[in-house]
Amino acid sequence: MEDRKHFVNSLEKLKMMLLNMATMTRRAVENANQAFQDRNEGLAQAVIDGDHAINDLEVQIDNISLKLLALEQPMARDLRFIIGAMRISNDLERIADQAVNVAERTLFLCQHPPLDPIPAMEQLMEVTGDMLDRAIKSFVEEDPKQAISIREMDDTADHWTMVVLQTLIENMVQNTPEGEKRLVNTRRSVQTIIASRCLERVGDLSTNIGEHVAFIVTGMNVKHQKIAF
Amino acid sequence: MENAQKFSARNLDFYYGDVKALDDISITIGKNQVTALIGPSGCGKSTFLRCLNRMNDLIPGTRVQGLIHLDGEDIYAPKVDVVNLRRRVGMVFQKPNPFPKTIFENVAYGLRVNGIKDKKSLRQQVEKSLHQAALWEEVKDRLNGSALGLSGGQQQRLCIARALAVEPDVLLMDEPASALDPIATQKIEDLIHELKKNFTIIIVTHSMQQAARVSDITAFFYMGKLIETGDTETVFTRPSLQQTEDYITGRFG
Ligand SMILES: Nc1ncnc2c1ncn2[C@@H]1O[C@H](COP(=O)(O)OP(=O)(O)OP(=O)(O)O)[C@@H](O)[C@H]1O
Ligand SMILES: [Mg+2]
Repeated sequence: MEDRKHFVNSLEKLKMMLLNMATMTRRAVENANQAFQDRNEGLAQAVIDGDHAINDLEVQIDNISLKLLALEQPMARDLRFIIGAMRISNDLERIADQAVNVAERTLFLCQHPPLDPIPAMEQLMEVTGDMLDRAIKSFVEEDPKQAISIREMDDTADHWTMVVLQTLIENMVQNTPEGEKRLVNTRRSVQTIIASRCLERVGDLSTNIGEHVAFIVTGMNVKHQKIAF
Repeated sequence: MENAQKFSARNLDFYYGDVKALDDISITIGKNQVTALIGPSGCGKSTFLRCLNRMNDLIPGTRVQGLIHLDGEDIYAPKVDVVNLRRRVGMVFQKPNPFPKTIFENVAYGLRVNGIKDKKSLRQQVEKSLHQAALWEEVKDRLNGSALGLSGGQQQRLCIARALAVEPDVLLMDEPASALDPIATQKIEDLIHELKKNFTIIIVTHSMQQAARVSDITAFFYMGKLIETGDTETVFTRPSLQQTEDYITGRFG
């Protein structure tokens, strides 16, 4: 029996590409958050400009995966790994799109005077960042327990998204003078609400990644199910 | 889906002289299912297959311990008619082995051995078997031609027709497609899907993909032991044991 050295190397390469993509995506989210908080246009623009590299990686991962499926006819864990890799890269790409979206809101907001700081927004950035970190870590460590636990943070993310929304609705309704200023204030608030939605999506997609990791490691499809390891 | 059981082996050991080739095999084989036996060369797949119709009896110095039941009856019991057992449990080998006779006579062979002389019944049964083996259309105009003039894939289906002619319940296939090209292999695999409606099939194959494509149940043998058996889908997507995983993903040795 041959030991499939070539194939094993290809899988290793696929894993490295995925880790690379995860690192880039994590950095995009981090930078988008930083740019948002600091009103840093340069950094926001860098996130937008860097997105194509993440898109390219997704395409490459898809191509390699397809090739391995067709030529190597993988079984068992190898098969699950390749399918999982395709799903994870797809979710990473969507996470990076959310980062781009936050960066675009940032560019808009930088054209106007700042809103009062919204502490819930910072909380939201923290929890969704943690969710993404945990997703990546669970993949590296092949740890289904950790992967599944990301779900539990989702309620917190939802909570802070709600608080951001409430805060800004109150802001729009209560302390807005008439005329030009009201329009600007409404726009700033709506853009911030959109940014918070994007972060919430980052959390959701990180939860998905955790489910893919659990699938790769255990073979169980844990989507839409309550399973503990 | 729980199928009625066809074969059941319990604590089966098999020896070639002093060499133990099968070690404590227990397995249940469902009726009208395709069971694939996989495992590295020399692990005992063919030996196990041959235990199921007592073909090993023909090899001197061999010894069986344990039980094999077919439809609830011990096939190694003294009163068992081995010829009749081999009629019920037919076998197809790796290399197509047609007799140097006509196509018709190849299929009619087992029937004649069983004493059927009536021309009409012979003809009917030969035609039926060739249909079942998905060969009829290709040979219906040359039934009196030599079987050796057929292609390898056709010869293999002829051997399947020959096995089917005596109306067995079970078909044992030992790497039936390993000497065939992809198209002939495809035909054999399609045929297996068709045949399992009426027969219980046990197939040995070295192709993981073939086991995955044709079987309902997969049994993994290693060094004379049955390591894991389960739904083919489960075995090939999430086997329970590391040894099975290593074998089917090619991480062996
Ligand atoms: N006729 C025989 N006499 C002695 N030993 C035999 C005989 N046939 C098989 N063996 C031994 O029994 C063991 C199992 O052989 P078997 O042919 O059942 O393996 P297998 O799984 O079918 O292998 P392969 O995939 O190569 O066909 C091997 O060690 C083999 O050498
Ligand atoms: Mg063999």
